[in-house]
Amino acid sequence: MNKLLEIKDLHVNVGEKEILKGLNLTINKGETHVIMGPNGAGKSTLANVVLNNPEYKKTKGTVEFEGKDISNLATNKIAKKGIFMSFQSPQEIPGISTMNFLKVAKNKVTGKPVRIFEFKKEVQEYMEELNVNSKLIDRNLNVGFSGGEKKKNEILQMLVLNPKLAILDETDSGLDVDAVRTVSKGINLYKSNENSVLIITHNMKILSELKVDYVHVLVDGKIVKKGTAELVKDIEKNGFTKYKQIDK
Amino acid sequence: MKTKVENINRNIYDIKNKDNYEFKMEKGLSKKIVEEISKQKGDPDWMREIRLKALETYEKLELPTWGPDLSALKMDNIATYVKPKTNLNSSWEDVPEDIKNTFDKLGIPEAEKKSLAGVGAQYDSEVVYHSMKKELLEQGVIYTDMETAVREYPEIVKEHFMKCVPINDHKFVALHAAVWSGGSFVYVPKGVKLDIPLQSYFRLNSPESGQFEHTLIIVDEGASLHFIEGCSAPKYNKVNLHAGCVELYVKDGAYLRYSTIENWSKNMMNLNTKKAIVGKDAQIDWVTGSFGSRVSMLYPMSILNGDNAKTEYTGITFAGKGQNLDTGFKVIHNGKNTSALVNSKSISKDGGSCTYRALVRVNDRAKGAKCSVSCESLMLDDISRSDTIPVNDIRTDEVTFSHEAKIGKISDKEIFYLMSRGLSEEDAKAMIVRGFAYPISKELPVEYAVEMNNLINLELEGSIG
Amino acid sequence: MSIKVNETPVRTSRNFSINNIKLDFDIPDQIGSFENIECEAFNESKTRSLATDAKSYIAKDLDFKSPISENVKTKKITYGNGKLLEENVFKKANSKIRIETEKEEIKIKYEFDDENLELVNQIEIIGNKDANIIIEYESRTENPCFHNGIIKTIAKKDCKLNIAIVNLLNDKSVNFEAIENELYENSKVKYTIIDLGGKTSISNYYSNILGEKADNDLKTIYLGKDNEIKDLNYIAELRGKNSKIDIDVQGALDGNCKKNFKGTIDFKKGCKKAKGNENEFCLLLSDKAKSIALPMLLCTEDDVEGNHSTASGKVDAKSLFYIMSRGLSYKEAVKLIVKSNFNKIIERIKDNEVKEEILKEINRRLN
Repeated sequence: MNKLLEIKDLHVNVGEKEILKGLNLTINKGETHVIMGPNGAGKSTLANVVLNNPEYKKTKGTVEFEGKDISNLATNKIAKKGIFMSFQSPQEIPGISTMNFLKVAKNKVTGKPVRIFEFKKEVQEYMEELNVNSKLIDRNLNVGFSGGEKKKNEILQMLVLNPKLAILDETDSGLDVDAVRTVSKGINLYKSNENSVLIITHNMKILSELKVDYVHVLVDGKIVKKGTAELVKDIEKNGFTKYKQIDK
Repeated sequence: MKTKVENINRNIYDIKNKDNYEFKMEKGLSKKIVEEISKQKGDPDWMREIRLKALETYEKLELPTWGPDLSALKMDNIATYVKPKTNLNSSWEDVPEDIKNTFDKLGIPEAEKKSLAGVGAQYDSEVVYHSMKKELLEQGVIYTDMETAVREYPEIVKEHFMKCVPINDHKFVALHAAVWSGGSFVYVPKGVKLDIPLQSYFRLNSPESGQFEHTLIIVDEGASLHFIEGCSAPKYNKVNLHAGCVELYVKDGAYLRYSTIENWSKNMMNLNTKKAIVGKDAQIDWVTGSFGSRVSMLYPMSILNGDNAKTEYTGITFAGKGQNLDTGFKVIHNGKNTSALVNSKSISKDGGSCTYRALVRVNDRAKGAKCSVSCESLMLDDISRSDTIPVNDIRTDEVTFSHEAKIGKISDKEIFYLMSRGLSEEDAKAMIVRGFAYPISKELPVEYAVEMNNLINLELEGSIG
Repeated sequence: MSIKVNETPVRTSRNFSINNIKLDFDIPDQIGSFENIECEAFNESKTRSLATDAKSYIAKDLDFKSPISENVKTKKITYGNGKLLEENVFKKANSKIRIETEKEEIKIKYEFDDENLELVNQIEIIGNKDANIIIEYESRTENPCFHNGIIKTIAKKDCKLNIAIVNLLNDKSVNFEAIENELYENSKVKYTIIDLGGKTSISNYYSNILGEKADNDLKTIYLGKDNEIKDLNYIAELRGKNSKIDIDVQGALDGNCKKNFKGTIDFKKGCKKAKGNENEFCLLLSDKAKSIALPMLLCTEDDVEGNHSTASGKVDAKSLFYIMSRGLSYKEAVKLIVKSNFNKIIERIKDNEVKEEILKEINRRLN
C-alpha cells in the first residue's frame, strides 16, 4: 500500500465549537477522493486542518502524511512536503504580482532556484490550457480578480507547484458551467498515478468529467458513508437527508 | 540581537568619517553666532537682515504643544554650522577622498551616470558637489547650490526666499532662516520639460551638529521637473538636528514631482518644513519614504492657488525601535476645481511610533474641489503605536471630500494562504509588508525602490533575527 | 467671558484650531430652580402598570419637591466640558436623578418655560438590568434657555442599555452636555443623540469600554443653521478584549453654521481583537457652512481592527433630480434626503411621541 494521507479519530474545534468529531480518512497514492456533505458539516474545516491553519484547534487524533505525523508542522512545512490546498475564497495580496508570487512559491516548495525563462514558459502553457487571461499574471495576487479568475488561479498554482496531494476546497462553487469544465480539465492535467486529489464539494457537476475512486459523505463532523463513484448518483437523487439520519 | 545581514547593510549608511572640518561653529545659538555664519558665508545685507529677524522670531516662538517630545533637543549642544574641508566642486575627482568615498558607497556618482540629469551633494553645512548635464544648461535650466543662487540670481531668490514658508510658521522654520546653509536652487524656464530627474543628496557627518539646507525650486509656466532628495547620516549617541526648508513654486501649467527617501540615523531630530504653491492647471506630486530619525515632524503642504491645480501625496513611514515619526500631509484648496489625492501608509514595530497628522482645508472659493484621502496603518506587534490625527476643514458645499483610515495587523488569513504555498511565516509577513509598501515604492525611481525594499527587509529581519 | 471647552484627548497643531472651542459666554451665576420635570414609563407593556410603576421606583431617589438625589456622586469626570462647566454642575445643580435600572422603560422630560430657563443637571444611570431610557430637553418658550448637564452611565456585567438624548431646545439656547460611560463585561450600551436645538450646542461623550466583549454603539444626528455652533467631541477608549465601539454621526449644515466633529477611538493596551468603527457624514446645504472633522484613531495594540471614514458634500444632484421629477419642490426634496439620512438613527428611539417631535423639529429647522 502507498499510503499518502491518513487521518485518525480527528477532533477539531473552531473557537468553542467542535466541528470535526472523530473523522477518519485514508488516501493512497494515485487515488481521487471526493468528500460531499451538507453545509456546515465540516468539509472546509478538514481542508484547513490538514494544512494546520492556526484558527482550527485539534483536540484529539492524528494527521499523518507519508507515514509521518504532520499535525504540528507549520503550514509552509506541510506545503513543502507536497500538500496543496485550493482555497474556497483565496486571499487578495496587494503589491505582489501573481507571476512573482508563483516564482517565490515554486522556489520555496522545491527548495531549488527557479529558472525564469523556462518557468515562465511553463506557466504560460498552463494558462493557455486553463484559458486564463494572459494579463492576469501581471496583476497583483488575486486583487480585483473575479470569482472565476481566483479559482482558475488556484488551479494554476496547483499545476505549477505540482504537489503529491491536492485538496480542492469547493473550487467549483460559484462558477459557471464553462469554468467548472476548465477546473476539471486542470485536475485531469495534474492527475497521475503518482499523485492524489481530495475534492471537497457539494456539487455534482465537477465530478462528471473526473475519474473518481472513492466518495465519502461527511455529516456533522464524521464520515458516515464511504463508497465508490456510484454513491454520487444516489446523493444526487436523494440528497443528504438519509445520511443525516444514519448519524442520529 | 540584530542579524548579520542587517549589520552589513546598515554599514552603507553608518560609515563615520573623522569629524574633519575646516570650521565648526561653537555650539548653541546667539546673535553673535548668526552674525558669524552670515560673515562666513559672505551674505549680502538683505540676507543678513533676514537671518537676524528670523533669530528674533525664533526666540519669541514657543515649542509646539503637541506631537513628539522634543526635550532631548538642546540647542546649546548643537553646532549650527560645520564647513567641510573643501569648496564647491563640479567634478567628483576634486572632492576630497573621504567625502567622495561616502557618496560612492551611497551610489550617488553611479546613479548620476546612469539615470540623473544633475546631482548636488551636501556634506554637513556645505554643498561639495554640483553638476548638471550640458544640454539643460543650454535650455536655460539653473541647478546650483543656494549660496551661488543668492550671489548670482539675487532678484529671483529675494522674491521667493521664505515667501512660500513664512519665517513665523513655526519655531524651527525661524531657526532655519537664521542659520540656513547649503541646499539647492532650481529654475526650470517656461515650457522646458526635463525627462530625467535632478537629485540632491544630503549627508550629515559631524556629531552634535545641525543641517539647515534650503531648497528653492521654481518650475516656470508649462515646464516640468522630477526632483529627488535623499538624506542619511551615521549614527551617533548624541542628538543631531535637521531643520531644512523646501520651497516649491509650481507656476501655471507646470508639473513637479518631488521624491524623498529619508534615512537619517536614529539619533536625528528631523524637524523639516516643505511647502509648494501651485498655480493654475499645475500639479505637484509628493512621494515620500520616511525610515530614519529618532523624531520626525514633517508635513509637506500643497497650497492649490490656481484653478484646476492638482496634487498627489504618496507616503510611507516605517518606525522601529526608539523612533517617533510624526508625518502627514497638508493641502489647502483655494482655486476652483482643485483636486487632491492622498495615499498614506505606515508601519510600526519594535516599540516604534507612527503618527499620521494631516490637514485638508477647502476654502469657500474652491468650488468644485475634490479631495480623497486614504490612510492605512500596520501594527507589527503590540508594543508599538500608531495614531491617525487628520483634520478635515470644509468651508464650501460644492466639494467632494472623503477620508478613510484603517488600522490593524497583518491578517492571519493572508499569512496562512501564503504559508500554504510554502513561504515561512517570516517570508509571508515580509511579502505582505512589501506589498503594502508597493504603491509607494512603485512611484520611486528604480534604485530608490530597491533601496526602500532593502530598508524594509532590513527592518523586518531586525525584528526576526 | 471667554471659555475654552471640549478639549480633544490628543492635541494637534494650534493652527488647525480644533484642540478645543473658544466661546464668548457667561456661565449664569444664579441658577434658579427647575420644576418642569416629567418622568413616565413610555411603552405599553402588558406585565406592568406603567406610570405608577416607573414613578414608584424612580421615586426611590427622586422627590420632586426636593429634586436633588443625595445619592448622585460628584466625582470628577475624565473629559467633559472643562473645569468651569463641571464645577457649575457639581455646585449648582438644580436637578439630580439617579436611576438604578430594573427592566424599565423610562422617559425623563425637562420642559423649559419662562419660569424654568436654566437647567443644571446630573443624571446617574446604574445599569443593573436591561433598560430603555429617553432623556429629552424641550423649550416651551421663546426666551433663551441654558442647559448644562452631566450624564454618567455604568453598564454592569451583561446589562443592555438603550439610551437616547434628545435636544429640542429653541434657537436662542445654549446647551452643554457631558456624557461618561463605563462598560463592563458583556454589556451593551446603545446611545442615540439627537442634537438639534440651541444656537450653541456642545457635547462631550466619553466611553470607557472596560469589559471583555463590552459593546458600545453611538449614533448621532445633528442639524445646524444660521450662525449656530455645534461642537461634538466623542472619545471611546477600548480596554476589554473583544470589545467594540461603533460611532456613526450624520449631520446637515445650513446657513453660516459651523460644526466641529472630533471623534477619537483609542485602542488601549490589552484590548486584543477589539473593533472600532467611526463614520461621519455631513451634508452641506449652504456654501457658507463650515464642516470640520477630526476623526482620530489611536492605537497601542496590534490585534485590532480600526476604521474611520468621513465625508462631506452637497446633496447628491442625481437624487435631487429623481425626487423632483416626482413632483417635489427643491426644498422638499432636500428635506426628504436629509431625513432619509437621519431616519435609521431616529428609528432607534422607541417612543412614537418623541419621534414625532423630532421629525417636526427637523421640518421646522429646514424651512
